[in-house]
Amino acid sequence: MNPLTTESILHSFPLIIPEALLCLVACVLFLGGTFRPGRHLWGSVAFLALVVAQIVVSTTPPRAFASSEAARSALFSAPIWLDSYGVLIKTLALVGGMILVLLSWNEIDDHHAPEYHGCLLTIIAGLCFTAGANDLVTLFLALELISIPTYVLLYLPRVEATAQEAALKYFLLSIFSSALLLFGFSYLYGLSGTTNLHGIIDAVAGQDLLEARVVPGTLIVAVFMVVAGLGFKITAVPFHYYAADVYQGTTTPCAALLAYVPKVAGFVALVRVLGFLPYNLGAERGFGPMATSQVSMLLWILAAVTMTTGNILALWQTNLKRLLAYSSVAHAGYMLIGLAVAPHINFRTGPTALIRAGSVDAILFYLAAYGAMTIGAFAVLACLSSRERPVEEIKDLEGLSRSNPGIALLLALFLFSLLGMPLTAGFWGKALLFLSAFMVESDPTALDGGSVARWFRILAIIGAINAAIAGYYYLRVIAAMYLLEPRPGEKPLPRPKLSPALVAVFACAAITLLLGVIPSLLSNRAQKAAEGKVPVATLPVEQQQAER
Amino acid sequence: MDFALSTYYPIFLFLAFLILFAIAGTIVPHLVGPQRITPVKQMPYESGMDPIGDARKRYDVKFYLIAILFLVFDVELLFLYPWAVSAYELFSEGALTALKEPIFWEVLVFLATLAVAYLYAWRRGVFKWR
Repeated sequence: MNPLTTESILHSFPLIIPEALLCLVACVLFLGGTFRPGRHLWGSVAFLALVVAQIVVSTTPPRAFASSEAARSALFSAPIWLDSYGVLIKTLALVGGMILVLLSWNEIDDHHAPEYHGCLLTIIAGLCFTAGANDLVTLFLALELISIPTYVLLYLPRVEATAQEAALKYFLLSIFSSALLLFGFSYLYGLSGTTNLHGIIDAVAGQDLLEARVVPGTLIVAVFMVVAGLGFKITAVPFHYYAADVYQGTTTPCAALLAYVPKVAGFVALVRVLGFLPYNLGAERGFGPMATSQVSMLLWILAAVTMTTGNILALWQTNLKRLLAYSSVAHAGYMLIGLAVAPHINFRTGPTALIRAGSVDAILFYLAAYGAMTIGAFAVLACLSSRERPVEEIKDLEGLSRSNPGIALLLALFLFSLLGMPLTAGFWGKALLFLSAFMVESDPTALDGGSVARWFRILAIIGAINAAIAGYYYLRVIAAMYLLEPRPGEKPLPRPKLSPALVAVFACAAITLLLGVIPSLLSNRAQKAAEGKVPVATLPVEQQQAER
Repeated sequence: MDFALSTYYPIFLFLAFLILFAIAGTIVPHLVGPQRITPVKQMPYESGMDPIGDARKRYDVKFYLIAILFLVFDVELLFLYPWAVSAYELFSEGALTALKEPIFWEVLVFLATLAVAYLYAWRRGVFKWR
């Protein structure tokens, strides 16, 4: 270990101040809750902690390096590396955390509130860690920091059999996926001889592997396992079975959390590991031919299957939470397009200046849009539902526009956004992803004879067809609210009073509309962040620093 | 490094003592102890459980709580030993000296986290044998 490495480890500590703060407050919540229960007290403490962490994140200046050698050394040895992509993800995590705290405020009883919010803060801290992770070990720890408190959260609020089933199902599948992920990580380590993420990409892209005489196909096995392990978190298709049962079995705020946080974490981890694979991995690099094409094709298939399966299964659902669960599966499929496209975008400019704008940044934009609209839809359900009159099925919403015109309008907004109507965030999210698939250009010199572009146009068309299929089930809910009369003999849903959950609904609606009307607010920043993330093997580090 | 058998003498001594102790432990009670046989005493010892019966028995949850608390301290020791062994040798020379102090504080943070868990369990009444 050389002095520069030591220094880069030491300099990682200031980068984790927001996470440390969140964990500290979580400890205070756990201990304080044993002295004094109370959802208002501990809810506000948790909210305040998230606000302070957000202030710290947005005011921390980018780290300055004495020399480019020091910067390079930090990039290849630091366990935490905070680029502007990571900062944006942290912001997504913390804002999402605030909305989730508001949403859970009155859904949890006084006695369980401190533990609930403590677990929530730990989960958000884990998500922030994932955003900055630059090492397989840090990445895995960050993902576990999200998973383990989630098990507790699923157990906490309810005791009936469906909730127990949901918690147990999630627990067992989650540890199984962690094992797959670790298997993949071990192969990545074996391939590259380092756990550092930039080092792995560097080794995979560089000549080192040729000397190491890697068994052909090792990379594919590693990628396959990593995608399988993270596929559980993003509910990609062969791993989506739990989603509907778990969302239905648990409380609405927990379902919103499960729909958002693991998905962000899974995509960030996938982007970190796979999003920046250089295109030009050929046979001469010691892999089987077209290793990147295989990775990209794996993600192509996963994207197509995930969105189609999610949408088709959603067509049969009458339960609102199950419907949203399958809709979240479909949205994971849309986002996978960006990941499949990533190695192909703008490769023409050569491996020296790979610019991934249009793929990785589209995923970031979609995550923000998806978070706002999905948490918003769950928040509306949480607001409307009460013990005397639970809102579970689509038919419970019949005639909502008569009894609750305002809240019906908000739910319609979220559903239109999920559907991808213009002037909502969902439209721009889909537009950016589909356009990125259209922007892929073939490389005539490639082994596949330049058919890549055609394949990705097909993927974009599959996506568009899926968006049309999704119209059926989203519009069915809207039709129930607007076109049907309230069922005779049934009490109309009471108007929700002003509560933190309602504030969460408004916040989600504001984000959905704001990103829908002015998408450049986020898309420009995301694009800049993605451009800054150029493969390290080929670019001087100063340029990366300038991007921040 | 030269292999010298003499460095292993203490281990052989220890081994011999162990074997003798085990043998003595089984023979001496038979010679010295009183022999009052009851059916309960004749049962195989299974940590207080009835050895014959339905396997799907309900346990009190407090056993699990104690087991998990034990695990907490077990893991704590597991983590502290390597640090304690290496702290004053590995970290006292070369580039690693710069890490000596941060790692010390990290260990303290780890202990503090465990203390929080311990206090939480205490406050929630895990130690009350109800």
